[in-house]
Amino acid sequence: MNYPVWELYYAGGGLLIALMAVVHVYVAHFAVGGGLFLVLTEMKGLRENSTAVLEYTRKHSKFFLLLTMVFSSVTGVGIWFTISLLSPAATSVLIHTFVFGFAMEWVFFILEIVALFLYFYTFNKIDHKAHLILGWIYAVSALISLILINGIISFMQTPGDWLVTRSFWDGFFNPSFWPSMFFRITISLVLAGIFGFITAVFIKDPDFKENMVCYCARWLLLPFIFMVLFAWWYFAAFPDSLKAMILGRSPEIVPLTKIFAAVLPVLFIGGLLMAIRVPGNIKKYMAFVILVIGLVYMGSFEWIREASRRPFLIYGHMYSNSIKIEDEANINKHGFLKTAKWVKHQEISDANMLHAGREIFNLQCITCHSVGGALNDILPLTKKFTVFGMDSQLNGQGKINDYMPKFMGTRMERLALSRYMVEKLHGKADIPTKAAVKELPAPIDPFDEKKDEYILLAWSNIGMRCISDSASWFILTPPGNDISAYLIRRGETPEMVTQGVKLTYKVEPGFEYPSKTVKFWNHAQKFFGKKLPPDIGLTGNGLKGKMKLDDENQVFVADGIPVVPYSADNRYNPYPLFTIEAMDQNSGKRLARTRVVASVSTEMGCKNCHGGKWRMEGVTGISDETASDILAMHDKISKTELLKMAQQGKPYLCKSCHLDANSDTKSKPGVLNLSAAIHGFHANYLTDRDVEACHACHPSSAGGHTQCLRGIHHEIGLDCTSCHGNLEDHALSLLVAEQKAGKKSAKRLMKHLVPTRVDSIGGIKPRNPWINQPDCLNCHIDFNPPETDQTFNQWTKSKDQLYRSRTGDAGIMCQACHSTTHAVYPATNIYGNNRDNIQPFQYQGNPYPIASNKNCKVCHTIDMDEELHHPNSLAMFRNVR
Amino acid sequence: MDPSSLIPAPDSIPVHWGWLHFLFLLTFVLHVLCMNAMLGTGIIALVKSFKGKRQDLPLAKEISLKLPYTIAFTVNMGVAPLLFIQVLYGNFIYTSSVLMGWYWLLIIGILIIAYYSAYLFDFKFDALGSARSIFIAVCVILMLLIAFLFTSNITLMLTPEKWIRYFSNSGGTILNLSEPTLIPRYLHFVCASLVIGGLFLAIVGKIKAKEGNHHYEAMISSGMKWFSYATLVQIIIGFWFAMALPNPIILLFLGDSSLGTLLFFFGLAGAGTALYFGFNKRVWPSAGAAIFTVVVMVLIRDMVRTAYLKPYFSLSDLKVEPQYSPMILFMVTLIAGIGLIGYMLKLATKRKQES
Repeated sequence: MNYPVWELYYAGGGLLIALMAVVHVYVAHFAVGGGLFLVLTEMKGLRENSTAVLEYTRKHSKFFLLLTMVFSSVTGVGIWFTISLLSPAATSVLIHTFVFGFAMEWVFFILEIVALFLYFYTFNKIDHKAHLILGWIYAVSALISLILINGIISFMQTPGDWLVTRSFWDGFFNPSFWPSMFFRITISLVLAGIFGFITAVFIKDPDFKENMVCYCARWLLLPFIFMVLFAWWYFAAFPDSLKAMILGRSPEIVPLTKIFAAVLPVLFIGGLLMAIRVPGNIKKYMAFVILVIGLVYMGSFEWIREASRRPFLIYGHMYSNSIKIEDEANINKHGFLKTAKWVKHQEISDANMLHAGREIFNLQCITCHSVGGALNDILPLTKKFTVFGMDSQLNGQGKINDYMPKFMGTRMERLALSRYMVEKLHGKADIPTKAAVKELPAPIDPFDEKKDEYILLAWSNIGMRCISDSASWFILTPPGNDISAYLIRRGETPEMVTQGVKLTYKVEPGFEYPSKTVKFWNHAQKFFGKKLPPDIGLTGNGLKGKMKLDDENQVFVADGIPVVPYSADNRYNPYPLFTIEAMDQNSGKRLARTRVVASVSTEMGCKNCHGGKWRMEGVTGISDETASDILAMHDKISKTELLKMAQQGKPYLCKSCHLDANSDTKSKPGVLNLSAAIHGFHANYLTDRDVEACHACHPSSAGGHTQCLRGIHHEIGLDCTSCHGNLEDHALSLLVAEQKAGKKSAKRLMKHLVPTRVDSIGGIKPRNPWINQPDCLNCHIDFNPPETDQTFNQWTKSKDQLYRSRTGDAGIMCQACHSTTHAVYPATNIYGNNRDNIQPFQYQGNPYPIASNKNCKVCHTIDMDEELHHPNSLAMFRNVR
Repeated sequence: MDPSSLIPAPDSIPVHWGWLHFLFLLTFVLHVLCMNAMLGTGIIALVKSFKGKRQDLPLAKEISLKLPYTIAFTVNMGVAPLLFIQVLYGNFIYTSSVLMGWYWLLIIGILIIAYYSAYLFDFKFDALGSARSIFIAVCVILMLLIAFLFTSNITLMLTPEKWIRYFSNSGGTILNLSEPTLIPRYLHFVCASLVIGGLFLAIVGKIKAKEGNHHYEAMISSGMKWFSYATLVQIIIGFWFAMALPNPIILLFLGDSSLGTLLFFFGLAGAGTALYFGFNKRVWPSAGAAIFTVVVMVLIRDMVRTAYLKPYFSLSDLKVEPQYSPMILFMVTLIAGIGLIGYMLKLATKRKQES
């Protein structure tokens, strides 16, 4: 940002430096080992009094001169040119820190040139001793050059104390200086052998040729073992973060380490083969093959070294995109464009947003990414994203996957960058969705307050059951709604009827055969180890059946009903109605009938970031493209093979590793529970978005086809965050609990999360999912009108304190009269406003809680003046319609 | 847009800028002398090759033998001033380089081709016959191209007001063609190469003439001719270049600055002296006058740069975070290196006494 950026696009992504550096480094190391090779081979010739060996040395010195003097020295300058074009800021730091290191290297460069010219041109023309001295001066000068440049190169990786002292010597003799130096010296000796082959195989006398090839093979093979040892020492000298990058945290490095590991033995075997006598010209070809293998070896090593520094150019000092760490806070505070020099737009407006996005893209992205080029192409990496997804990716970039720098700048700048990438690079645009929902009939059974003997209250246990219809890939949550019901015999002292009656449930027509619309039943056996008949859920319940009595709570329950939000004609309806009937067990006479919504949704917004489209009707469901990307990302970050397994027909159940406190499936010890993992991971990508973050994944968005927040709280303006906190808080509460439980991986997810509802992570009260939840009474203290509409950090202590488990003083479950969480009476529902208010309407003719507005007669048949159910239960309902 | 807002913030330097400035100018003089000898002799060899006269063959052959050295030393001696200019003016030269990224990087590729052409011209001089002209032509044309690209960059780095072009072209293909000093500046360097190239040949002739080969007499004569006539042309181009400079800058050398005026006078006097000795074919005094003039011209050039950048930057703005020990070690290395070069030359020339 201090410097202009060369808009390379196609040729970007490090292609230029890779081309320049790999060939230079290869020949430059040869220039070091080769010097020693020349002088030692000449000594061998003198010792053996062999004119043939001396003549070989002379010829090799010509090859050496042409290769090193021209190619190596010019490409060496070329590296300088290239890095100053690609990363002028980092080059400037190197030059300013090590100017006299470079200057000393220049002196040795002069010595190399003079010595090599003299060595070559005086071959056989001066006495041997003087000639050898010239050779030695060359060899030592080249070695010192390597040592000098090694200090500067290894500095970029491990600047050590320089970060604090800014001392030349601390930077030069940095923590990896010595192992890197010895490693490079041994490489240069190996290369001397490899390049020796090239001239040796052209010797005409076959015996002498074999001799010399063998001699060169020794140059390759003897230092080899030391090279491997020094490589190990070098690796060991790295800090853990660098090691982790090399060992796979950076996806860029993975293929390179594979190549490096594969080529290493091949090179050694190649050397061995060269030492064996073989007829004909085979060795000529082999020599060149080994030369190429050596280049691959050297190239992969240098590439790994370069990439292991991610997300830095100078470790701990300057990011890959040339932004200094010390500037990061300022940039985030004042904005990137305001602090950058080479930008046209310092303020973002609607009119310039895409252009400003391009400027940010140039300054923050293209140092490492090409656009449509051969290396690190940004296009396939971002193809899946919508603007929202791109923005979220940038939001979380560099946090969990720390091989990239974080995005630096304001929210608006991040949006500008996202829009540029999605709209300009990919030519896509986010089209805002607006739910086009048809109102559905919600028949209400008649009720005669005077005559009817019974009332039947029924409710879903949770406000919205989210299920994943992606069973071919994974199952986050299987289908399985719970419906509960009370049969109450009306009277001055009403009575809960539990004996002598039969309660049944039955889904509305069109929803009887979920197995025809989702693939859950095709894979159920793999997931749960038991074969499920079609349309039967995990508890054995189907879409109609008998409800069982829960003795403890005196309530009838049908659990695990495998209802899905798709009708037979593939229409999405997240609120299918169930008819509940109570019958006299003996006579079979129907005592009461009501209907209740079993809310179930597949509208999980995974596709917003993971790409793909909705699976069903363009409104909901996880498509194959989305699901496979989710697995690919999981594999990339957690080093799993879920995608491969799924493709082989072995999809996984998320909770088989990540504990789901709401289920009894066995999980992997030490792995984060499902809620902590999912919220903790995604919170890093969805910071500072308030309720937007919730809507991104849950079916609560105002533009969606579910809009699961239906209760009165939603109507009066509360949202998810009112009770659960922002996503950061919500995630942290789960992660802190996991961390306290000794799960190490929580730390990685927590590292960059900042709570919004409390001052620090220390203030977060840990909670377990599905157990520690916000309590209604946090705000409604003693059932009174609340003084606040915000509660966070106050959790129910155990499962039996949850709203869905709790009863009033008279033993009636809260949900029976107030309805289910997120749909408490009076509820609204986009599929018809009374769809969630059926029972209040049936029994009272209004949408308010059962018996509200002193309507005790619903059960008691007379007015009551005692607040038997809970304090304030005789107050008038406040939020009337 | 205010161009000064584009100028990148420089990094701090480890020693007083005066040291770096001195080293920069010193090594630049060495580089420019090598470069001039390289390019100048290259052009002369090309001209001689095209003329195809038999009597010119030994001269071309002699140049072919020297070109690999002069290229090697030009590159090598270029490294040091390139290093020091980055320390002193990095925020300017990096910027201008990025603006012409493709051309700047192209230099490396062209240089490799030019270099190998020179080696072919040398190693295969006799075997190639008249085809050798192609190689020296390729070599010289490419070197001239490199010189042009350097001139473009060095002028662009001095004129931040032109950097605004980046906002309409950020693809690294900006050449500073609208710069009025570009052509005279470029020609001033090319012509200087003919001057020094001629001188270089004359010096080689002078040294070798002791061995009694009559070719070398012709070489001295031819070299001094190139030297003298090119110096004449150079003076004219020099005036053109001066006229092309912005008025306040040229006035520095015509009275506004006493140092500038003195340098300008020395420059002219040096050139005049060189002419006098040149036409009289006095090699060593010519060499002295030429080197003196080159040094003066490098100083003038430096003043011009300072004046161009004055509205934006001065070397004394650079923040110093002192660390002198690396520089001292460098000085020691340099002195030892020079000693070692002397020793090596002694070793290599010993054969003559023995054979």
